[in-house]
Amino acid sequence: MSAEISCKQLLELISGYLDDALPGDVRSLVEAHLAGCDGCAMVLDEFRTTIALSGQLTEDELTPAQRETLLDAFRDWAGS
Amino acid sequence: MQAPLASAADLRLIERLRARDEAAFMELVERLTPSMRRVARMFVATDAVADEAVQEAWLGVLQGIDRFEGRSSLRTWIFRILVNIAKNRGQREARSVPFTTLAGEDLDAPTWEPDAFGASGHWSSLPFDWRGVPEERVTGNETLRVIGLAIAALPPMQAEVIRLRDVLGWSSEEVRNALDLTDTNQRVLLHRARAKVRDAVETHLRSVST
Repeated sequence: MSAEISCKQLLELISGYLDDALPGDVRSLVEAHLAGCDGCAMVLDEFRTTIALSGQLTEDELTPAQRETLLDAFRDWAGS
Repeated sequence: MQAPLASAADLRLIERLRARDEAAFMELVERLTPSMRRVARMFVATDAVADEAVQEAWLGVLQGIDRFEGRSSLRTWIFRILVNIAKNRGQREARSVPFTTLAGEDLDAPTWEPDAFGASGHWSSLPFDWRGVPEERVTGNETLRVIGLAIAALPPMQAEVIRLRDVLGWSSEEVRNALDLTDTNQRVLLHRARAKVRDAVETHLRSVST
């Protein structure tokens, strides 16, 4: 990789960067780019916001029938 | 890469399961079954068969709990059992779904529309600025609803990776092991999913701010 990365390249590295999964030299390139690029810093923040908001979603709930089936299976197993 | 070991909380839960603690089992069932049903459904043809695979997996968990050595997190181990069962059932039904169907045909697509950049690959004009949108709009229930819909519209494996990672907060290693993905695939699926969800949020914020 050349000594600088473009905005287009940076955008592909965002999840790797947020997961701390980039090799050190690539991470340095990303950080150097972000320090000088408002557009990319903004998009990175938008990814962070989106991830934080996703964490507020709630999961589906089980139906009473599903719960009962699994509870029965447990009681069969525990009683055996 | 080494998978994370069972946590202290996992070990306590494992002890309770071994002691035939019904509340411990149901707590785990409530927490994991919704994702397990969706994961199973990727590999089998109907919701009914997916439910059977999930039940079989929970039985496998109970029958195997005494032998579980804690070399992965508890939930990763449970998902491995489930994925094996669901894949076997899918094969028995002669329903082998190609990885590209589950993962989406768009994995190689760029994160951003190419026409946003000049020849050098730098922004030709800056993207829409969310900071101009009132905070309560950005974080409001309507945005959460948009995110839920955007995740539901993703190809199944992208949807499940982003749910496990960003909705439920699993680590990348856990997700990779639970869904039997390579490290690269896990990251590419997650990035594609996040890019599309971010994009859906932006479309929504633009529409409410004009």
